[in-house]
Amino acid sequence: MKISIDWLKEYIPVTHTVEEIANKVSLTGIESAPVELGTDLSNLVVGHITSLKPHPDSDHLNLCQVDVGQAEYIQIVCGAPNVAEGQYVIVALDGANLPAGKEIKKGAIRGQESNGMICGLDELGVEESLVPKAFQKGIYVFPSVEEPGADAKELLGLNDQMVDLDITPNRADTLGMRGAAWEIGATYDEKPVFKDPVIDDSKVEDDDNLKINIEADDLVQDYLVRTIKNVQVAESPLWIQRRLWNQGIQPVNNIIDAANYVMIEYGEPIQVYDLDNLTDETISVEMATDGHKLNLGKDDTKDLNHDDLVINSGDQTLGLAGVVNGTSAQVDDDTRNILIESAVFDGTSVRKAAQRHDLRGDASNRFEKGVDTGAVEISLNRTVELIASITKIQSISQVIVGKQTPAEPTVIKASIDHVNRLMGITLSADEMIGILDRLGFSTEQNGDELTVTIPTRRWDMSIEADLIEEIMRIYGYENLQGTLPSGNETLGGYTPQREFINKLKNILLSEGMDETINFGLVSKQEARDFNYIDSEYTRVLHPMTEDHEFLRTSLIPGLIKNVAYNKARKNSDLSLFEEGRIFDRESGHDRPKEVEYIGGIITGKVGTDSWNTSAKEIDFYDVKGIVEELLSFVELDSEVEYRASKEIGNLHPGQTAAILFDDQVMGYVGKIHPEYQSAHSIDDAFVFELNVDKLLAQPKKNVKAMSAPKYPSVTRDLAILVAKNITSGEIVKQIFNDGGQYLKDVNIFDVYQGSNIENGHKSLGYHLIFQNSNDTLTYDTVEKAFTQIKTGLINKFNVEVR
Amino acid sequence: MSLNDRLKELRENGINDAKRAQHLQDLNDLRVQLLGKKGPITQALRGMKDVPKEQRPEIGTLANNVKKDIQTAIESRIEEVNKRIIAQKLQEETLDVTLPAQSHEVGTKHILNQTIEDIEQFFIGLGYEVAPGYEVEEDHYNFERLNIPKDHPARDMQDTFYITNELLMRTQTSAQEGRDMDAHDFSKGPLKMISPGIVYRRDDDDATHSHQFHQLEGLVVDKNISMADLKGTLEALCRHVFGPDREIRFRPSFFPFTEPSVEVDVSCFNCGGEGCRICKYTGWIEVLGAGLTHPNVLEMSGIDSNVYSAFAFGLGPERFAMLKYGIDDIRDFYTNDVRFLEQFKGVN
Ligand SMILES: [Zn+2]
Repeated sequence: MKISIDWLKEYIPVTHTVEEIANKVSLTGIESAPVELGTDLSNLVVGHITSLKPHPDSDHLNLCQVDVGQAEYIQIVCGAPNVAEGQYVIVALDGANLPAGKEIKKGAIRGQESNGMICGLDELGVEESLVPKAFQKGIYVFPSVEEPGADAKELLGLNDQMVDLDITPNRADTLGMRGAAWEIGATYDEKPVFKDPVIDDSKVEDDDNLKINIEADDLVQDYLVRTIKNVQVAESPLWIQRRLWNQGIQPVNNIIDAANYVMIEYGEPIQVYDLDNLTDETISVEMATDGHKLNLGKDDTKDLNHDDLVINSGDQTLGLAGVVNGTSAQVDDDTRNILIESAVFDGTSVRKAAQRHDLRGDASNRFEKGVDTGAVEISLNRTVELIASITKIQSISQVIVGKQTPAEPTVIKASIDHVNRLMGITLSADEMIGILDRLGFSTEQNGDELTVTIPTRRWDMSIEADLIEEIMRIYGYENLQGTLPSGNETLGGYTPQREFINKLKNILLSEGMDETINFGLVSKQEARDFNYIDSEYTRVLHPMTEDHEFLRTSLIPGLIKNVAYNKARKNSDLSLFEEGRIFDRESGHDRPKEVEYIGGIITGKVGTDSWNTSAKEIDFYDVKGIVEELLSFVELDSEVEYRASKEIGNLHPGQTAAILFDDQVMGYVGKIHPEYQSAHSIDDAFVFELNVDKLLAQPKKNVKAMSAPKYPSVTRDLAILVAKNITSGEIVKQIFNDGGQYLKDVNIFDVYQGSNIENGHKSLGYHLIFQNSNDTLTYDTVEKAFTQIKTGLINKFNVEVR
Repeated sequence: MSLNDRLKELRENGINDAKRAQHLQDLNDLRVQLLGKKGPITQALRGMKDVPKEQRPEIGTLANNVKKDIQTAIESRIEEVNKRIIAQKLQEETLDVTLPAQSHEVGTKHILNQTIEDIEQFFIGLGYEVAPGYEVEEDHYNFERLNIPKDHPARDMQDTFYITNELLMRTQTSAQEGRDMDAHDFSKGPLKMISPGIVYRRDDDDATHSHQFHQLEGLVVDKNISMADLKGTLEALCRHVFGPDREIRFRPSFFPFTEPSVEVDVSCFNCGGEGCRICKYTGWIEVLGAGLTHPNVLEMSGIDSNVYSAFAFGLGPERFAMLKYGIDDIRDFYTNDVRFLEQFKGVN
């Protein structure tokens, strides 16, 4: 809410600039910004139109003689439809500045001299929706006689300065001028002074006819009304109008304006009704009947339901409680007798109704956040006082109580020692009591105990911690010296899982892969495409878009998106990885398991084309190499198996392997299927994905140190011809099976198929490395093992040794 | 010619031949030829029998000296030739060192993870544990345990992706607080933890909003934890991240799960507080929210708020990285353009 300095001065002395106030209030209470109105306006005066005649060469312009307080009247050409003799209007004199850099110059309009401009409020920068309806399509006319030549900017409130409070939900006490005066006053150690409303007793009569039924008792805390007979509905005085439009409220008429004015003054929403439009002078506060309608005028109706708390009279609905009034009993020019309502409705109910009907506004905003339940009656009386002061009235009713809940001040007990310990400073009891007094809280001290009585306007206060906040902020956070917690030492660190993840990520980084982060919420298609874990799909109830509707089941779709995005920007040689959660939900469970995965994608060329090197197209064995390096750091106790697999996601059936330890699938490595690849507009790409949690759970190799071998190794080469469908993995397994205790390593050095090779066969070449770490190997020992290997391969795979 | 003269002649010729030789092979040949068993010195010494006995020792000594001198001449020449060969080789092998190298590039850690790890390392040094949380969380932990009951207006402040009535994509890493307090054994000492991770909000993605982003929650529970402890801790953090000269300030704020609550500003690292575009000419930049944990939150974990107190803070790694490196579009973190990613190699 914007706090007008002009208005604030009614309650506290204001000696600082609006910038200083905003800065100080931001640091001690509520985030604030200074607002200065009318900085782009100048040379605006009151003009009195003494006479007016039509422009000789125009059918809509008039020549106005205007008294602007100068020795002679000036002529101004005016085209506004509502211009008339005798009006007091806003005149922009020669040289005046208007918003958006507009400057007024005297000159001639169709041959007639014009020495300025008669203005509408919108031309002065007031939003059109805030301009009183009668003046929206023309010039503004002052409601009363003003001094010609007087400063129009000041009269219109357009030179006011304001502090815009951006309140947090707990500080709705400052959604009224009086609450704001307390807050700003506490900041500057100034107690605000308020006048209580005074009602002319001679006008007060009983109104025995009106009946109020509070049906929805749990949603209505207070419901008070007064009626006024024989009001004269008219335009409000200027001082009310200008304060309202500066608050962003459109002036309507003196009755509605008075209600809005009191809402700003006290923070209490006030509603007014045309008493004569009530059915049998009854009011019922109750739940709406399904299907009933609330008419808001101009073909705008809201369909009500049984969750809506409404103000009914007979079978007509007057308004949605705490939100908006309909047209059926609205106060307009024909109104004679009025009913004023000051009430407290349930905040949640008001909030939901306002949301449901898209009608959030000044009143609902205050009920949502809470209002001062101790100010219900005083704000009702203030409204009566204000109306009586700006229009003639005949009589006022007593306060008619639909429901009234006594508002008791909150009492909070606090320990001086505890408060100091939690703040980390040492204030004396007197210092604390002094701060609380600035806020209008009264305190009794008994030893270490403070008993603090909180006025009802600070309904956010309920426990000692709330008091600590008040004392701390008024004392000033800038006076707080930082310390570090001084308790027992603790051992910090990562979890074993995080340590492991960090290790895996570092390996991939050292393999030259860039780390990416992708979205956990993906499209249905993306959740499906690589769901090799066969998870149930998990969907969010109200997705923002179909692109982010399901929880991901794999890291690969995100990585493919990254490749496509980069390729479209001409980055085509890519090596990317991601470590993150995937969501694996079992059927019958709502909650998916969150599993850490690490996955990568490589595409394009490996190495660079340069003056001394040439790049090579990436193939399956490049990505497999990365996986092998990664797994070599897992310190597994068991062998890694790459099992050719034809049925994983959208992967190439001939270039994909499942990765297994002890027959448990840990992940997969493979090439993106050519169809999927072209559908996503990417080049050949190779991916892998591994379940980090499963890897971490594997039994670890128990490393025992041994010295570097002292005896030389012996290498034998083996070349064989074998059927094409036999994998190298099977051959190597067999070689180790037959190779005896001294066979240490088998390295493939040649794979060949093509000319000179029998059809359906391939030629494979291996280096076999034998070593005895305790002795020199003899020729016979090696020869014996080599023979066994050859025999084994011949028997098992029918190979031909070449 | 006397044997004596013959030997002297051989010496002179040998030394001259050595000095003239151009190749290592010639010098080796010369050595074999002059000093070998069939060489001229050995030949000449066959005439020793004609030398009187008393002169023989003298001739013997001379012959040895001649051999030694020739040997020395050959060796020194070998050394010269070797030097020349090496010099020539060095000349031939000279490279254009400005040509590009063979690249062996290491990848780049994502800037958000670099930012997070930098903060993690800072807190690990202060004895904090790094606790992971759940991205799919119960309403109970994400809201109710944080003093945000159903129908609380604060639930409007953060629009939530629900999965069922009770399950949701967590909207804040504060959701981890309840779990960690429940699990902690306070007889073993204070709870000091940070919990980084991904959170989700129902936002349209644009330059300043993302439906997915990161948060890092911090929580310390012990006897006598104070607002001053919070200020000192965050001061040290901000100096670690934004530079040693930074100051921080607290401004009152509101979060349902802390009381008092504060917003924390750091003095502008760009202008040092003078005012500039980055700090919107205020000299201060809002970096995180914090406060003393609300007694209700402690009590819900069975912690006596009269005995224990706690502070908590939550920060946004995206915001930290955007401020520190001048990134102006949050979507850049998630599109993973390698040119964006790789510019941050090694910054943290
Ligand atoms: Zn700055």
